[in-house]
Amino acid sequence: MNLKVETRSLGETTVIDLEGEVDVYTAPHLKQRIIELLDSGTKRVTVNLARVDYLDSTALGVLIGGLKRLRERDGTLDLICPNPRIKRIFEITGLDKIFDIYSSEEAAIQKLQEKEGA
Amino acid sequence: MSSAGRPAVVELRIPSRPEFVSVARLTILGVASRTKFTYDQVEDIRLAVGEACTTAVERAQNAHREDAEITIRSEISDGKLTVEVYDQIGVLATSPGPAESLDEIDKESLGALLMELLVDEFKIEPLPTGGTVVRMVKYAE
Repeated sequence: MNLKVETRSLGETTVIDLEGEVDVYTAPHLKQRIIELLDSGTKRVTVNLARVDYLDSTALGVLIGGLKRLRERDGTLDLICPNPRIKRIFEITGLDKIFDIYSSEEAAIQKLQEKEGA
Repeated sequence: MSSAGRPAVVELRIPSRPEFVSVARLTILGVASRTKFTYDQVEDIRLAVGEACTTAVERAQNAHREDAEITIRSEISDGKLTVEVYDQIGVLATSPGPAESLDEIDKESLGALLMELLVDEFKIEPLPTGGTVVRMVKYAE
């Protein structure tokens, strides 16, 4: 498998750290992890794409599905995406308007703290 | 580098299975590197070809036709790369344009949208034999 999926807690948020390629072969692995988090009642998820070097429409579909399900439960699914090439995929498809995308983990943490403090 | 003026053709056949799409991407990465594309253009080609193969693989899965093959034919000539992705697995829908809201997004059509946006010329055509060919052309800057 060319994708590593690891989860960790960051305050009230669960971070999914991805490493490698998210495509038609590996995206089901990410989907499964998101479903497990949903089943365990997680509401705030941040997917860290910092170490992703390839991402396609299958990955976008999984992230959109996760965002939809989390929003139905008043939850969120944000993205950390420092890689301009990966971010461009969200921009050209218009998905940068739908996801909150942070350029670094620090920027995401700052926003999370604001949300948790609100 | 190919001989001046003479087109160079590279053809690859892969099974319609998810684990082989990365093989097609690796091959096209090598082919695109044979001409004067920028790094970003090579990445665009890699993603576009990956999407063409992915849609074929997904349709093969839906039609229980994992035995079908995908043929990727690429041709380099005069600063342009033409890639044709052939399959024998029914007709592919066209793309709807960028998403405006979450409810509008049709996950299946994101792949076609990406292909259209990443290459200079893009066409999906049915084959007389019942399959589909995706034709893409990218020009070196």
